[in-house]
Amino acid sequence: MKNVRIYFKKMGRMKFVSHLDMTRVMSRLIKKSGIPIWYTEGFNRHIYMNFALPLSLGYEGTNEVMDIRIIDDEYPLDKVLASLQAVCPPDIEIIKATNPVKPTKEIGFADYVLAFDEINCDLKSLFADFFSKESVTVEKKGKKGKVKKVDIMPKIKACCVGDNTLTLQLVAGSEDNLNPALVMDAFFEIFGLEPVFYTVTRTSILDKQGNPFI
Amino acid sequence: MDNKNFERLLLSVQKPGRYSGGEINSVIKDKSKVDVRFAFCFPDTYEIGMSHLGMKILYSLFNEREDIWCERVFAPWIDFEEVMRANNLPLFALESRDPIKDFDFIGFTLQYEMAYTNVLNMLDLAGVPLRSKDRADFTPIIVAGGPCACNPEPLADFVDIFFLGEGEEVDLEVIDLYKEYKKEGKTKAEFLAAASKIEGVYVPALYDISYNADGTVNSVTPKGDTPATVKKRIIKDMDKVYYPDKFVVPFIDIVHDRVVQEIFRGCVRGCRFCQAGFIYRPVREKSVDTINNQAKALCESTGYDEISMSSLSTSDYTEIEPLLNKMLEWTTEKYVSLALPSLRIDNFSDELLEKIKHVRKSGLTFAPEAGTQRLRDVINKNVTEEEIINTCKTAFKGGYTAVKLYFMMGLPTETDEDLKGIADLGQKIVNTYYSMPEKPKGKAVSVSISVSTFVPKPFTPFQFEPQITRDEIRRRHEFLKSCITTKKISLSYHDSSTSFLEGVLARGDRRLGDVVEKAYKKGCRFDSWSECFNLDNWMDAFDECGIDPAFYANRTRSYEEITPWEHLDYAVSKSFLINESKAAHGERTTPNCREKCSNCGANCYGEGVCFEKR
Ligand code: SF4
Repeated sequence: MKNVRIYFKKMGRMKFVSHLDMTRVMSRLIKKSGIPIWYTEGFNRHIYMNFALPLSLGYEGTNEVMDIRIIDDEYPLDKVLASLQAVCPPDIEIIKATNPVKPTKEIGFADYVLAFDEINCDLKSLFADFFSKESVTVEKKGKKGKVKKVDIMPKIKACCVGDNTLTLQLVAGSEDNLNPALVMDAFFEIFGLEPVFYTVTRTSILDKQGNPFI
Repeated sequence: MDNKNFERLLLSVQKPGRYSGGEINSVIKDKSKVDVRFAFCFPDTYEIGMSHLGMKILYSLFNEREDIWCERVFAPWIDFEEVMRANNLPLFALESRDPIKDFDFIGFTLQYEMAYTNVLNMLDLAGVPLRSKDRADFTPIIVAGGPCACNPEPLADFVDIFFLGEGEEVDLEVIDLYKEYKKEGKTKAEFLAAASKIEGVYVPALYDISYNADGTVNSVTPKGDTPATVKKRIIKDMDKVYYPDKFVVPFIDIVHDRVVQEIFRGCVRGCRFCQAGFIYRPVREKSVDTINNQAKALCESTGYDEISMSSLSTSDYTEIEPLLNKMLEWTTEKYVSLALPSLRIDNFSDELLEKIKHVRKSGLTFAPEAGTQRLRDVINKNVTEEEIINTCKTAFKGGYTAVKLYFMMGLPTETDEDLKGIADLGQKIVNTYYSMPEKPKGKAVSVSISVSTFVPKPFTPFQFEPQITRDEIRRRHEFLKSCITTKKISLSYHDSSTSFLEGVLARGDRRLGDVVEKAYKKGCRFDSWSECFNLDNWMDAFDECGIDPAFYANRTRSYEEITPWEHLDYAVSKSFLINESKAAHGERTTPNCREKCSNCGANCYGEGVCFEKR
């Protein structure tokens, strides 16, 4: 029995699939693929699957990570890859299958690209203004609906404003996680702006050192 | 609308996965390479429509053909409808996202009367004129099938073609005819006239209806050489009929998210209230091998880990034990679970019982439908109190503590005595539990009683019966409630006002078309959803059309009266229904098809249970 780390893209029509629904979709794809998958023990046996970092509904991901467990140690990884690729719908693309190096608790950051219809000069300077702030405190709904105040600025590791994109590197992981929507909500609020539409793509998941999570 | 704007709209509504498409096994074709585009519409939400077996069968059947591209369409929920209307987004098909008004066919499946306003709403959202007579263009042709097509009269003004009975063959025959007529440059009228000659095709515009002074139907007159009656189609050989080897696997959770394996059509029982028990006659089974192979292929192509057997009464499958044995050979090994709804297990071998112990058990449920043996004889429901109590005993021994019972209220000849019988049966089950030394320790028993309101339906022996009024339904609810004296029994009912409307539409005639349209224009849609249903709007619509709904729902019809569906032939003869009605009033039961044939008329197809050796 061994763990296999699957890297995949969740694009296009798939972005309307919530994280919970995604686990069901993946388990069916795995079942359909016929790879020698490991089932959890117990009365209601199901496929073991662990997503490194859930992706919000509405976001695309170009380098998502999921761990599965197969019962045959000798089963070649390229066969896992090919079998999964063969059954995926057009908007899920399996990129690679590897032996995991780090546990998911080593995840520290994630890169996001926010695409706007247009980032004009005004918006550009407001972004500059916003990201140079020392601290921006927002209310965040925690578990059990408790609202707590958090300063988001220390959780923004890097940002870059392009022609019509905003790239953010944010704290990510199971202990601490910053959603780009929270950053944008704070941005619109501080300047009293009517929120504009943007799309979000998570482009990579990084470890605590800021290196690609492997 | 470009993709980006479309997605922006989707992100502003609840459950965008309902409208996104792109699911596993959904079919994408090159539209320049197909001759016929078919929009298969289910007039309810995605979650309900995607659970429907008939739609899965026809979707795959059509798409097997290279020249047809069939796509799915569901009724957009209220929030998305608002967004669509505000942004001039016409109703589109999930696969291509193309507007369905440009398709060759727009087809609806009519599973329940309460979806009629959704049909109109979907036509309107598509940008298609509601009434057939206002649609001058050849396409789109509006077609509809499903159980409600057995009396489709309330929708007769809106739909060009109804398919009666099972669609696998007749639908394709009509599509082929369409291709031919389109190629030859014929008109829509010519096409409809030719289609009406195909068995199972009902073109309502080709029949004139006249009425008597008392409001009943006087005559149904076919125009020109249109056939006087239209006979439903059935599939004769269930082992040869097409069955999909793939289902579209949805991304979001739906009502029945699993492999659904059909095992037979029809029902031998003949419960007198049950429309399905009559309109799907005769019973035709699939063989064990067919079922086993089809279920296996579906599991492989979908990745589902659960199979549900589909039929009106699984226990009546003649080879149920060999079937389960065969399927368990591979399902256990592949971690696939079998769901066996309403399966009676009294006569199974110990060995099989042991094997299906691991089969996911749905709770302990019974549908006695009526509270006394007298009334059960009236409705021909052959469940006895003794059987129920005995099964409960076995189940309690096996650790069960919850029992669910389904009843109907307002059945013909029902008295307060019969209602009290419902409460008494519940009490007897509670008493049985406490009288057993082997009952699960430290646990209380719970009996939940669910009561729906009886709705008389066409093509049943009760088609002549009045539905009880809403006031009387309320009184009986209160009475039944007063009969229940323990907290161990919980009681729930189905809303009485929707049953009333269902009763009106089920036996309605063409004049109700105006009412449905008015109600829809007043904002009625999703009438089967309690959060959307608005009876006041419906009552206003009846009022404005000068139509008394009680005429349709609450009146006793004579055996001689011409019904609005008199020209539709569902194989069971009217004389049989009259005999059955008389037997009901005489409290006499009728044996099931396997015990003895009662000559209902369904043997006219030369197939099925009618020709089994008894
Ligand atoms: S003809 Fe006889 S056996 Fe056939 S469906 Fe009717 S009653 Fe049943």
